[in-house]
Order: sequence, then C-alpha cells, then structure tokens
Amino acid sequence: MQILRNVFKRKVRVLLTIAGIAIGVLALVAMGAMAERINVMVSGGSRYYSDKVTVGAVNAGMFSVQPIDYDKRDEILAIPGVAAVSAEIGTILDPDAGISFGMPSILGGSDLAGQEYESFEITYSEGRALEPGESGKVVVGSDLVKQLDARVGEYVTIRGERFQVVGIMDRTLTVPDNSVYMGLSDAQRLFAQDIPDVYKTMFPDFDPADLVTSLVVYPTPGTDPEVLANAINKAVTAVQAYGPSFFQEQIASATRIFNYILYGIALIALFVGGLSVINTMTMSVSERTREIGVRKAIGASDGQIVRQFLAEAGVIGLIGGLGGLFLGWLVATVADRLLQSSNMDLFLVTTRLALGSVAFAVVLGLAAGLLPSLHAARMKPVDALRYE
Amino acid sequence: MTVLVRGLDLRKRYVMGKDNFIDALRGVTLEVDEGEIVGVMGPSGSGKSTLMHILGCLDSPTAGEVWLADRRLDQLGDREITKIRRTAVGFIFQTFNLIPSLNALENVLLAAQYAGKKRAAARDAAEAALAHVGLADRHRHRPAELSGGQQQRVAIARALVNEPKVIFGDEPTGNLDSSSSDEIVKMMRQINHDTGTTFVLVTHDPGVAGACTRVIEMLDGLITNGESPAE
Repeated sequence: MQILRNVFKRKVRVLLTIAGIAIGVLALVAMGAMAERINVMVSGGSRYYSDKVTVGAVNAGMFSVQPIDYDKRDEILAIPGVAAVSAEIGTILDPDAGISFGMPSILGGSDLAGQEYESFEITYSEGRALEPGESGKVVVGSDLVKQLDARVGEYVTIRGERFQVVGIMDRTLTVPDNSVYMGLSDAQRLFAQDIPDVYKTMFPDFDPADLVTSLVVYPTPGTDPEVLANAINKAVTAVQAYGPSFFQEQIASATRIFNYILYGIALIALFVGGLSVINTMTMSVSERTREIGVRKAIGASDGQIVRQFLAEAGVIGLIGGLGGLFLGWLVATVADRLLQSSNMDLFLVTTRLALGSVAFAVVLGLAAGLLPSLHAARMKPVDALRYE
Repeated sequence: MTVLVRGLDLRKRYVMGKDNFIDALRGVTLEVDEGEIVGVMGPSGSGKSTLMHILGCLDSPTAGEVWLADRRLDQLGDREITKIRRTAVGFIFQTFNLIPSLNALENVLLAAQYAGKKRAAARDAAEAALAHVGLADRHRHRPAELSGGQQQRVAIARALVNEPKVIFGDEPTGNLDSSSSDEIVKMMRQINHDTGTTFVLVTHDPGVAGACTRVIEMLDGLITNGESPAE
C-alpha cells in the first residue's frame, strides 16, 4: 500500500510513465501474438512434414500448384523404402478471392492411399473423415465453417459445384483450419478448370485424372525420409522430392527471421518505455532526497532504500505491463473479430506470451529503477537531509 | 554518572575545491553523561549542527574519535553505523521531517520496522510511543493534517520508539510558536524524567536552553565555555 501511495504521489507523471510502458507492452503483445500465431502454424507444418517426403514439380517449390504427372506415382512406389504414396491436389479454394494478408484458404484432394501411415492426426468436432474413393463429399476446416455455412449432412458450394459436408474438423491452429478436403477425383475436376483452354486444345488427350500437384511419400518404418528424398531425386526425373529438413530450413527459418523482426520492433517500443521509467525514478529520487535522508537517519540500511525504490519501479512496470497486456489482448481480439469475414486469425495471445510480457515489463521497470535506487541508497544521510 | 556520549578532538573540514575549504569543527572535545539534557548554542556557522550530526552518526569526522558508551563509532562500517542509528540514537529535526505520504502511526512504525521489530511488536511500540506524546487519537492523520507542535510530537514518538539511549535534536522548536515550543520542551523533560533518555539539543531558543541541565557554547568550530582544549 505504501509503495502504491508513493508511486502515485505524482499522478500525472507516473500515469504518463505507465502509459509509456503499457504502449511498449501493447506492441510486444500484439507483435508477439502475431509471431505466436505463425509459430503454431509453422510447428503444425513441421509436425506434418516430419516423417514424410513431399514430391512436387521441379523448381516449383514445396507448395507448388503446378501439376505433375500421375504416372510418377508408380515409379516412386518401386523405390525401396517407400511404404505408400498418396496422390494429392492442393490449390487455392477460391481463385477469384483477392490477395490478402495471411494464408489463403486451401482446397485439398487426396486418394488417401497412404492414410494408414499418416501420423498427423485430425479429429472431427462433428461428422467423420473422408473415406478413400468417396466423391461428392467434403470435410471442412473450423475457420471456414462460417464462410461456407457448412453443416454436417448439408451441402456447400465450392467453385460452383455442390458437395455434401460429412465432417467438420477440430481446430488445429494450422493449415487444415483454413482448408476444405475432398476426394482426389473431385479435386482433379475442379483443378482442371484452372488449366487454360489453350493447353487443353494443344493436348487433345488431356485428362483431369492425370493431374496431381504433389505426391506424399510415406517411408517404411526405419527408413530415413531425408535419405528417401535423395533416392527419389536420383531415380525419378521431372519431379523434386523434399524431406522434412527442407520445411525446417526454408519455412521455419524464414518465419524465425520474421519473429525476430516482430519482437525487435516491440522491444524498441518497450525500451523507450523503460527510459521513461529511468526518468521518472530519477526525478522521484531527487524529489525525495530529504525523505531518503530521514529514512537513513532513523535506521534504513542501503539495501532497504534500494528495495523501496526498486519496488516502486517494479510496480510501475507491473501496472504498465498489465495495462499493456489488456490493451494488446483487446487489439488482438478486436482485430481478429474484424478479420473473421476473411477467415483469418492473425493473433494468438498465448499464456507464455502474456506472462512473458508482464514479467518483461516488471524486469524492465526494475532494471530502469536500479541506477536511481542505488544513487538514493548511497547518499550520506547528512547530505540528503541538507538537500533543499 | 557514566559518560554516554564522548567526542575527542573532533575535526571536520568541508572541501569545496582546491584550496577552498571550511573547517566546521576545529578540535572539539566533550562528554555527555547519561540522563543529561545538554544544550548546544552558538551563532550560525559555529559548527553546532555539524557536531550533532557527527555525534549522532549522520556524518563522520575528518579526524577525532566518537564514542557511544564504551563503543568507538568513528571507525565502524556502514552496516554497524546503520545498527547504531536504528537502536541507540534518535533524532528530532527543526522541520520535523516526517514522511508526508505516511500517517502518524506509519511514520513511527517505520522506525520500529527498520529496527527489525516484528509486525505486532512494532505496532505495539509505535502505539505506545504515540500515546506517550499524547497523540493516541491521531494515528490516522497525515503530517499535513497536524499542527506543527503535533508533527514534532510525532517526530519525538518516532525517535522514542526504539528506546534509544540518546536523542539528538537539531533546533527542535525552531519552527514552532512559543506555546508549542513550551509544550515540546516540557515533553522532552518529562521523557528524560520518565525514561532517563539523554538529550543533546542544538538550539537558539532560550526556552530550550533554560530547560537543559547544561549548555555548551560554540563559536567558529570550537567550544568556548570550557570543554575544548584551547588551540
């Protein structure tokens, strides 16, 4: 109580300082929440890709929508160490949607040939998973339920065709949330609509059933997916195989840099807040020089003086931290609510982010208060008492 | 009578810059017996406040010895000096020097807590000290809500709370009207009578001097009425 009373003796100044810290923490929470959102998405990807090899078109990147030849599947199946291969289509759900920040919604199709080897488990809040060979049926990611007005047993319209919803996926905080999955043949048919007509006239025997955008290769138990990816690249032409490390190196490291930038901006904002704590505490110490003299005259030790001023600086940090956390949470929640129509969750305020931000603000307050506190403690009582 | 406070050839030089210094004390020797009320008088700049600060462990001498009972203080480290300030000596100031954000009880409690008393014991001691100075009904008042005389009584309670052997006063009535002054002087005498607490009071006030058992006169950093050896 005494600490609070001392802190708020100069209300305007202290409130401005707290506002400085709060804005810094707001930046930290908002930027951190974006980083956390990306982190869970990426770690979902890392988990998904951790035990398999992804094969796509050459020089098109890991997430290419460029088609490859379906026949490559048989060549790959012949390589030792391959347990199963799923043929997949992955493309953008709505090609007419404009470019927006964040991940676009995904339309996925698979023949589910390797599903018994799949370790990335998806659970369903309602309904069931797709069965191999099914057509006319879809499962819908949790973020798309509202947009598609999806209900199990009812129909949704995707690229002009009607599909029956058989399952709604649980929230995974990664790619499936923003995806619709269907049988391979359905996806091939829809994907073929994207192929320019010119191409179809040039190749009269064009058949949508030959189209896949990736082959997902499941290694046999004991086979290293990296080794298998190399073997595929050697044995099969016109495709590129990617092992788990590719995702780690390309995607995880890129997002790590993005994280550093986000946190860097936030820390600069907080640092400025920290400077204002130094300023406030220095003013407070010089204004209370006589009080420090009195306290020492009646028996306060240097340590007790340091603790007193540190506690005040820490309280400023704590209040600023809690205020900033609330504001950051508010910004994240309101922004996500506003962005809901575009199926985007931009922010994720995790417990560790919340606790970390507040703890950081307290530590910052303490660090900023340390010099002024030591200065206060080292004053000779008689000099402090004489101070006007 | 046993000697409680002793200063031996105390000197204090304030250095302002090269070749620019003031000798506030130029060799002061004095003894104060247990139970005395000693007044220290002299014009401004005579060194009386400096003497009191040094005897009360708020400042250290440039040379000379400071003794409290049979313990030499001028060579002690910060930690030991802090302990002495907590329990063996008390202070009263001209401007009261109460902490404005704390109420009367908290101001007194603070000294008891610094002395390491347990919460309940500190509270009991603080309440008893406030009762002793007649402010049992003013616990919750902040300094700004008290008259000058009442503030000085809170300060006396704060000085008393750890039952020190000696209380040093720096112009304790300097900021008070005559009736409040009389009241404070009477109170100090009463405490001296009740508890045997020794007082060393720097003062300009003839009323205070009149209440003292002995008065030391100072001029230009020296005691002029007998105790300092002549230079």
